[in-house]
Amino acid sequence: MNYKSGICTFCGTGCGHLLDVRDDKVCGVFPMQNHPVSKGRLCVRGWNVHELLNTPEKITTPLIRKDGKLVEASYDEAVSYLVEKLKKVSPDEIGFLASPRSSNEDNYLLMRLARSVFNTNNISLDCDPGHRISLDVLHKGTGMAGMLGSLEEISRADFMLVVGIDITKQNPIIGSEIHMAARKGSRVFTIDTRVTQIARLSNGFLQIQPGAYKIAIAYMAKVLLDENLADVDFIKKHTEGYDSFTKVLSSLKESEVVEKTGVDIEVLKTLARDLALSRSAMVFYSSGISGFDRETVSYIYNLYLMAGKIGKEGCGVNPITGINNLQGSKDMGIAPDLLTGFQKLSDSAAVDKFNKEWGVKLNTQAGKSPNEMGSKLRAFVAVDHDETIIRNVDDIKKTDFVAYIGSYQNGFMDYAHVVLPVATYAETDGTFTNTERRVQLAKKKVEPPKNILACWQVFSKIAEKAGATWSYGSPADVMKEIAKLTPSYSAVSHDKLGIGGVKTYGLDRYDAEKAANKAAFAPVDANFAVPLASEEYPVLLLIGESQHYWHQNNLMKKTHIPLREYNATLLLYPQGYVAISPQKAKELNVRDRFPVKIVSPYGSMETLAQVTDKVKPNTAYVAYFVDEMVTKFFMEHKDVLKRGEDTTIPVRIVKV
Amino acid sequence: MYLINKSQVLDIAKELQKEYQVYGPVMEKEAKQCMFVKVDDIAELDLNAPIPAKPPKHALFPQFERIMSYQYDKKNQKVEIKPDFDSSKKALFGLRSCDLTGVLCMDRFFLGQEFVDDVYKNHRKNMFIVTNTCNVPFKQCFCVCTDSGPSAQEGYDLNLTDLGDQYLVEAGSDKGKALAEKLGLKNSDDSHKKAKSEVIDKSINAFDAIAKDNKAWISRVVNRVTTGLIDEKVWEYIGNQCIECGACSFVCPSCTCFNIVDPVTGPETADRMRTWDSCSYEGYSRMAGGHNPRKPVEDRRSKRFFCKLSYSQSKKYLRPGCVGCGRCQWVCPGDIGLPNVVTYIRRDIQK
Amino acid sequence: MSELNNITIPEIATITEIKDEIIEVKTFYLSFDGRQGGQPPKFTSGQFVMCTVFGSGEFAVSLPPSPENDRFHLTVRRVGKVTNALHSLKVGDKVGIRGPFGNGFPFEEIKGKNVIYVAGGIGFIPLRSSIMRVMQNKDQFGRVLIFLGARTPQEHMYAYNIKEWKNTPGFEMNLTIDNPVPGWDGDTGFVHTLLKKKNIPVENTVAFVCGPPMMFNAVIKELTELGIKEENIISTLERHMKCGIGKCQHCAVGRTLVCTDGPVYNYKQLKTLGEQF
Repeated sequence: MNYKSGICTFCGTGCGHLLDVRDDKVCGVFPMQNHPVSKGRLCVRGWNVHELLNTPEKITTPLIRKDGKLVEASYDEAVSYLVEKLKKVSPDEIGFLASPRSSNEDNYLLMRLARSVFNTNNISLDCDPGHRISLDVLHKGTGMAGMLGSLEEISRADFMLVVGIDITKQNPIIGSEIHMAARKGSRVFTIDTRVTQIARLSNGFLQIQPGAYKIAIAYMAKVLLDENLADVDFIKKHTEGYDSFTKVLSSLKESEVVEKTGVDIEVLKTLARDLALSRSAMVFYSSGISGFDRETVSYIYNLYLMAGKIGKEGCGVNPITGINNLQGSKDMGIAPDLLTGFQKLSDSAAVDKFNKEWGVKLNTQAGKSPNEMGSKLRAFVAVDHDETIIRNVDDIKKTDFVAYIGSYQNGFMDYAHVVLPVATYAETDGTFTNTERRVQLAKKKVEPPKNILACWQVFSKIAEKAGATWSYGSPADVMKEIAKLTPSYSAVSHDKLGIGGVKTYGLDRYDAEKAANKAAFAPVDANFAVPLASEEYPVLLLIGESQHYWHQNNLMKKTHIPLREYNATLLLYPQGYVAISPQKAKELNVRDRFPVKIVSPYGSMETLAQVTDKVKPNTAYVAYFVDEMVTKFFMEHKDVLKRGEDTTIPVRIVKV
Repeated sequence: MYLINKSQVLDIAKELQKEYQVYGPVMEKEAKQCMFVKVDDIAELDLNAPIPAKPPKHALFPQFERIMSYQYDKKNQKVEIKPDFDSSKKALFGLRSCDLTGVLCMDRFFLGQEFVDDVYKNHRKNMFIVTNTCNVPFKQCFCVCTDSGPSAQEGYDLNLTDLGDQYLVEAGSDKGKALAEKLGLKNSDDSHKKAKSEVIDKSINAFDAIAKDNKAWISRVVNRVTTGLIDEKVWEYIGNQCIECGACSFVCPSCTCFNIVDPVTGPETADRMRTWDSCSYEGYSRMAGGHNPRKPVEDRRSKRFFCKLSYSQSKKYLRPGCVGCGRCQWVCPGDIGLPNVVTYIRRDIQK
Repeated sequence: MSELNNITIPEIATITEIKDEIIEVKTFYLSFDGRQGGQPPKFTSGQFVMCTVFGSGEFAVSLPPSPENDRFHLTVRRVGKVTNALHSLKVGDKVGIRGPFGNGFPFEEIKGKNVIYVAGGIGFIPLRSSIMRVMQNKDQFGRVLIFLGARTPQEHMYAYNIKEWKNTPGFEMNLTIDNPVPGWDGDTGFVHTLLKKKNIPVENTVAFVCGPPMMFNAVIKELTELGIKEENIISTLERHMKCGIGKCQHCAVGRTLVCTDGPVYNYKQLKTLGEQF
């Protein structure tokens, strides 16, 4: 039986699959029928994962830069060099950039390395703020740092709201589950700034003005308040802080809503009523690099809490992570101020626990994310990151020392002084936590090339060279330690992870009945300002993920068929594109693929126009991850970018 | 026609193993899914396992295979090409009739037409096929509508039918007959033939109502698809639900579209690989320079069903392109497998 | 069944000369390593070959030479990854060739008729092979009219051929460019606008049309309005191809495969393919 069961590691859905392994090569893939979430389906990336695992473009040996060129070296040499360089600078000058694609064990060890061996808390994922915001809001409210619902219960949700996420392109199988539930009678509504596929498959769709998600959701809450549709029993029994929430809502005016959202107010009212009156309801929104800002997430959470649609079967507030282990990375403490399981550095009891286990005295001052260190960054270690989405890449080029740890060749190696290859995920054991807090084990299926070590072995080597003694014999050992130190992972161990894995917190979904504490309403404000176009900057430019612009562009480029599909947009618009409406195009006297220039108060960039009726007349849309866009143009808009999916910049578009 | 005791039916596979690599249905223990794979230990084979999730076509038409490798010396301007065809002898044991029909479609496609495909020819020659009649249809089967089951009619070397405590073994070729004689199987008589047709009738009766309701279910649609008289809105409705994952083409026993790529394996070496491709992908028909004759997703959907259901395509395969296995139904994230599409089209016809 | 032995594994050919045509277009003269005298396998104009650029990939390219006289060559425009790699090759480098595949332009069947050629831009490349063949046997044909359209004078290809044909009695050359340019003394306007102006024969006539889709549809409209029968309008289709032998199905258009049933079709067939082209 050459088919071995495993987990797909492209996106946050974590579909089950079987890999065809022959002669130590992965030469095929097939979906797993009995997986509780994917149920025998895969998307275009999942169906072609064997192309990625077979690519010859892997890093084959450790490398050290000598006289400007990368030359081959042994692990010992490269690791010694790395440790030497890191020890030369002070701990607050080191930055670690972990990867949201790494397994839980690998990320835990990187976190341990940074904190206990190099005494620094400057470790992050760089796709912040996105998911961290959702976790902050949900944790503060319910004590659960993760999705409150469960993907397995989608079929039991009578009502589903899809807010600001192109889910059939980002997490196709979750989109499929929603669609299947809709076909069986569930009602699905989409609120988005663009016409997405799920919008066309929903029972109703509200195309909203950019930046207006917060006010639209707030208004839905107000409708429930005004029409006495809030679930008062639930609120009384399971929540606290409702009164301060209602106070904030009272200041919202209907006219303001109409003006700022641009939607039909009656439809929005009906939507709110449907939500309240349904037996069970879920909400899905994008969490991650294009997630919402804190206020919007708080309002979504509060709305569902007041409607009594949290903590019951078929209910939940569900942030959807696009990258496979974004949830797991956060669980493993990849943040300047977190330990595992959302335990904070400021929590002395938690710190004591770690101190005892690791035999160190941790520095409890929160660190900084490497992209916020500016010129203070003197040594930088990056793990498996797309070179195009590293925000402060200019600073990094000037840093004294850069190390890159990864499996696949990456343009980022051009800046590295040390490169350490690690085995791919099919060549070692590792667990991944998907967007619904499901921890699944991807077992080793092929032997790595003879001279390549697994990530956990490389980290152990680095620790050893730096003077620490780690005694892990396998990734399972690492998970044992994680379970010991992390209450939400206490039931997780490799031998218990069969098909479908195990959910963190020991809970399939947040259960209001079983919760130790009441759920708290999130504090929100009544500032409903939306970005305004002005005469000088009449177009609202949205940023987000584009069809086929999946994260991990670097990995896509190593495949054949996903690359071709991914290129579907990139080939047509090699310098990226800005999507504008036909009316705008006529006004500017441009046609599809004509060069245009986008001008904002901070700067400008040139790109090609894509004329589509998926955007409204005075909005335009631009995709992440096209080289020039992320690093040059948007970097000037630092504050604006923090708003994630709702990022909107008033601009002017001119023909070139 | 011969008989063999149920407890000894795997002896056929054991005998085949002496000369061939044996492929057959095996239950994957962890995922509890039936897959059609190469076996070393014949005892792993399970003739009672449900229809294999991955169509056995991958034994003849692998998902990802190398067909040649080459070395190019840029400095000295020399090139050396090395073909890499797989001509190992394979035996497919326990093939279901729908999957066999898929193999026959592939035969007519790859080996008939204008050119003979060398790669497929090498996989296919020296192959021994043992089919297994379906006593009971599986959840999504509809082979009775596409004339491809529940028992194989042609193209096999041996056909097995479970009669209770014995298997009826029909020889469909000289090779099959020779093997049966070699094993010393005893002859069957008319009563066994009758038993077989009873088994088949029982099986047919157990199909879903819609599958055997009226044979006109698919054929009326075939008419419409061939003539193109289907409202655009139907295709738009179908296209809206397509997630463009490619699964339908990958699990279909008669789909044969492939892609060719030349990954570079070293500074002066490269391979030529064939991989499964799907017409549901947007990039499938896109030409260099950007022109794409089948850009909208509904065009791709209508192309696929034209390929599977129209008369003109049937001429290529000498039968309808669909074999009624139903795999596309369970693997489609958008719920637009062939049976559903046929239902939508029929609904439109009846309006 | 075909007698070719290079349908799956390419045979090796050496580049003997590279000529620059118009911008982004080059002609590569090839000599076949494994064949006597470096001569190509037997082919007819209108067919195509699959050309492998080692280390990059394979692409389909139509055969422009006429079988009788020309040295074997391929004229290729640089447009994608593989063609870009091809353009960086030098004389003496090797390429792989599979084919020729496809049906060719009709030749015997059109003897004795008037022949009209209408080409837009690089659509001229495949038609040239037919024109040259006809020219070499021009006493077996009636009037021969050639209409070539390009965006600018610099984008007219095969200038040396055009000059030769202009001076050939019996050949009526009509060149046009999209917009007027100083120094251009030919016609201006899209090529289909010329058709009604010049006195083209309608009876006993075949028309070969090749060019981008918009031009193609406009020309067809003019020709059919003038009275030329649909089955006498001939064109060649282009599609994304991978195998060239009718197996990978990338080139499918409705019920037909461009690599085996085409690439040459007449308009009557094109209309019934079952898909828009």
